[in-house]
Amino acid sequence: MLALSRKIGESIIIDNNVEVVILDIKGDQVKVGINAPKSVTIYRKELYEQIQTSNKEAAQSEVAFNELDKLFCSNKSSKNNDIDKKQEDKTDI
Amino acid sequence: MLIKTKCFGEVEISEEKVITFETGLMGFEDYKKYTLLNNSEKESAISWLQSMEEETLAIPVINPLVIKEDYNPTIMEDVINPLGDLNDENVVILVTIRVPKDITQMTVNLKAPLIINADVRLGAQVIVDNVDYPVKYDIYEIVKQKKGES
Repeated sequence: MLALSRKIGESIIIDNNVEVVILDIKGDQVKVGINAPKSVTIYRKELYEQIQTSNKEAAQSEVAFNELDKLFCSNKSSKNNDIDKKQEDKTDI
Repeated sequence: MLIKTKCFGEVEISEEKVITFETGLMGFEDYKKYTLLNNSEKESAISWLQSMEEETLAIPVINPLVIKEDYNPTIMEDVINPLGDLNDENVVILVTIRVPKDITQMTVNLKAPLIINADVRLGAQVIVDNVDYPVKYDIYEIVKQKKGES
């Protein structure tokens, strides 16, 4: 990782169009200002990580998708499911 | 084209069903092409955002209005500019569902919805400004209650 020392009011430029300015330092808190093109998304890392984790957990959803569908379909169609199931049972026999 | 899917076996997906997420999804930044699948026979409210590139990558998603009627995220315009002109007709908003082994602990992510322009089939996952929209919003009780009502 590149480490640069900066004082209050000093800044760095990334990729010619993103400027990171040190606005203020109080104790262990640093206030950072960012000037970037509107197309650059800027998030607090801990929030981004929370969403990464949430997406990964969502992709590992354990429950069989049929069970999920049962939970999310209307009662009417869940009845249909029961009929389907019965028909399946019959075919098994 | 024929693709392998996590929940539906091999499925034929036509080109116009492919949705491109230019910046991927958070945590899956390398995968850009997806399609939406659902179990049409069962009229389920759930769809699966299936990666066109990775068979095992499929995320259950739902229209947030099904579980939170007043869902109205505040999104910075700049963030969704790359999706083109969005209007009531072409915008599709979905939230991801997390289903752990204990199904009663299931949640949706209200903080980072998927915004899709159905006309040009471009999508993006964005972080919304609303402070009261959590990453993990419990929905089991809500879903159960709704099922009871219908």
